[in-house]
Amino acid sequence: MTTSAKAKPGSTPASEVIFGPKPGSGEKVLTRYSKQVRILHWVTAITWTILFITGLILFVPAFSGAAEGSITTLLHHWAAIIVCVWAGVFFVLNPKGSMEGIKFAFKWGKDDIGWAKAAVGYYFFGKEDKMPPQDHMNTGQKMWWVLVLGAGALMVITGIIMMFFKTSGAFMWAGTFHALGMVVLLAMALVHVYLSVFHPKMRGIFWSMVNGKVSAHYAESHHKKWYDEVTKHKK
Amino acid sequence: MAEKAILYDASKCTACRGCQIACKEWNQLPGEKTTNRGTIENPPDLSPNTWLKMRFIEVGDDGDFRWLFGRQSCMHCTEAGCVEVCPTKALYYHDMGFVAYDKDKCSGCGYCVAACPFNVPRPSGSPIGIRHTTKCTMCQDRVVEGDLPACVKTCLSGALQFGDRSEMLALGKARVSALKSKSPKANLYGENELGGLHVLYVLEDEPSVYGLPVDPKITVAATAWQDVIRPLGWAVAGAAVLGLGLNYIIAKRKIQLKSKGE
Repeated sequence: MTTSAKAKPGSTPASEVIFGPKPGSGEKVLTRYSKQVRILHWVTAITWTILFITGLILFVPAFSGAAEGSITTLLHHWAAIIVCVWAGVFFVLNPKGSMEGIKFAFKWGKDDIGWAKAAVGYYFFGKEDKMPPQDHMNTGQKMWWVLVLGAGALMVITGIIMMFFKTSGAFMWAGTFHALGMVVLLAMALVHVYLSVFHPKMRGIFWSMVNGKVSAHYAESHHKKWYDEVTKHKK
Repeated sequence: MAEKAILYDASKCTACRGCQIACKEWNQLPGEKTTNRGTIENPPDLSPNTWLKMRFIEVGDDGDFRWLFGRQSCMHCTEAGCVEVCPTKALYYHDMGFVAYDKDKCSGCGYCVAACPFNVPRPSGSPIGIRHTTKCTMCQDRVVEGDLPACVKTCLSGALQFGDRSEMLALGKARVSALKSKSPKANLYGENELGGLHVLYVLEDEPSVYGLPVDPKITVAATAWQDVIRPLGWAVAGAAVLGLGLNYIIAKRKIQLKSKGE
């Protein structure tokens, strides 16, 4: 990320007012997300936003008029096709990394139980002492990742049925589960956006998905296991 | 406005298929290229361009063979699955009782296709293009002007009639009792099905023989996403927003206090 805007002393650029402060120029940073991962993230973010909006208007009677003329249905179908194709291309380009990433979602241990016990104190009151050290993804991020993979697969399967097999008896049940998946994903997507943009403890971490970098201090305090691993490799 | 209905008397039908053609003509639906499947029943199924299709049903064997004629099109239910599920209300109940349809409002979602117990609505277009769902409109543009639906207008044998529903019911019942002596299984279909259909059939045999559902119902799955998942969605989304707002208020204070104390 190359920002030309040199912050004058005492003034913060508008982007940082919204998304939180970037790591300072003198700060030591670590690479957290590769360029391909970032592109995958933003393609997913944009297509899912389109999918949520064009899907929700069928769900909320007050907005359903916006679906007239099938334009939103067309957008919905194409956003779905783009994100599926993109995820497929990503997998083909990075088969090893993808498999490792997917496996990571299902690696659970005693520190995850510790996370669950400490989560309320940590996220509401900033109590860090009880929070066990976390890996590249912490337990909450892993839960979100499991949900993205699992509910994402559900959405793809039910979506294909709804798109291509309208006259089949399976359509109605596919529609039911598609709606259910949407509810769960939308609620958790709100949590995801909130934590990465607004939560006081995570403020500024948004930029790691823009430039791939995270301050060493943040890595150490939020992802100790991962921090130890990468700094050990570097030495 | 008095509720209207079409009465189809299968015992009077000669299966000339004039109604099929009249439907296509009035609604400007193009013909379809089909292949010979060894039956006069053609085209093989309803489609975005075929809203009405006659059925040719062969029953029995040598000696006891009957050739029955049936009709497949929208039944214009009082409690219609398609209307119940339609998110944009492109499908709606008309004052005259039939299920009217505003194609411009259709979002092409296809819920009506699966919700119909009679398997009538058909999606037009392709999955990756603009889609609309189509079905018989009971020639709304004609009947609101006091004219007959195109299919009724063209019917030569008097098998199709159109008028006040109560009148059509009385006619249908009278016809059934007249048929009883020849066809003991004769019955009137549509009086009470789904709150009463606005297309009534005088049949010479069981409805199932004509390919009609014996006890048509709107399935639970058809309306579950509206009746169960929609309120659940509001609850979950509301809880998420409330929880996050609460977290923000508490965490902002506590964590700032902490950093000041350090």
